Amino acid sequence: MVRTAIKISLPIMFGFVPLGIAFGLLFQDLGYPWYFASIMGIIVYAGAAQFMAIGFLSAGLGVVEIAMSTFFLNSRHMFYGLSFLERFGNWNLRKLYLIFGMTDETYALLTTIQVPDSYVKERYYLYITLFAQFYWVLGCTIGALLADILTFNTNGMEFAATALFIVLLIEQWIMVRRLLPFIVGFISSIIALVIFTDHMLLVAIMLSIISIVFMRLTKVDHHE
Amino acid sequence: MNELHYLIAVIIVMGLSTYFTRLIPFVLFSPGRESSLLNYVAKSTPPMVMMILVVYMLKDVNYYSFELIYTFLSLAITIGLHVYKRNALLSIVVGTTVYMCFVQM
Repeated sequence: MVRTAIKISLPIMFGFVPLGIAFGLLFQDLGYPWYFASIMGIIVYAGAAQFMAIGFLSAGLGVVEIAMSTFFLNSRHMFYGLSFLERFGNWNLRKLYLIFGMTDETYALLTTIQVPDSYVKERYYLYITLFAQFYWVLGCTIGALLADILTFNTNGMEFAATALFIVLLIEQWIMVRRLLPFIVGFISSIIALVIFTDHMLLVAIMLSIISIVFMRLTKVDHHE
Repeated sequence: MNELHYLIAVIIVMGLSTYFTRLIPFVLFSPGRESSLLNYVAKSTPPMVMMILVVYMLKDVNYYSFELIYTFLSLAITIGLHVYKRNALLSIVVGTTVYMCFVQM
């Protein structure tokens, strides 16, 4: 099960390690000890928020503002949990960790993969989530440690995240085979992009969920 | 406040704040209480989110430049390879390598 988890989580590695390295490199510019980059990867574990934190830290922003900004930036994750209410099993440490580890990438992967029948689903999820965070912390650490000597040109590596999402989009299509959610997602993205460029992700996700709820409710009304 | 204390406070606060956003749905909706609407939303969310994430990743592409061409070329290669082989890692690695070659050219 561990080996399958490693294999299935490798695409996340390709996104997380270079992104983590980029974070570590930038973080080192702030002048803190290198291991704080790793600690951030362990405790905060949120890509966009950690990049944002670099700006906050160098500006010396207040802790309350930082808490609120982080909450707002990550609030899309509130909707991610909806897909896992049943699947994460009973309340225990493992479930608390699975919730903690719900990044865009793990959400995308866990909602797309098929769990083999012989596996305990929650354990399989746990391994994948653990490996994903390991890749992230590894990237943050490498970046911070090698800030001075790293010469490998990582330009363009950010495309790995785009490629991961497009691959998972295809997999979703193969699984779901209903055009509606894809259309709703696309239209919501475009509307959010035009109106609220800054918080496009959150607005688009909220908009799409409101639309799908509205469509469902009006349909039910129609039948009754 | 000491520099390091500030950093540690920021890390703890950001950690809690991030965890809070991820925890909310699990606290608000107890599983087992079957709701067909919630079920429907949970099922429709992954394809919608995936679509949104793809648009989000592509939103900063400069539409009046060479970037548009090689971005969509790399995307086409990723998609084509994935439809053909269905090997996620292969599609991602090849697509990203092609993209990196263009960017660093």
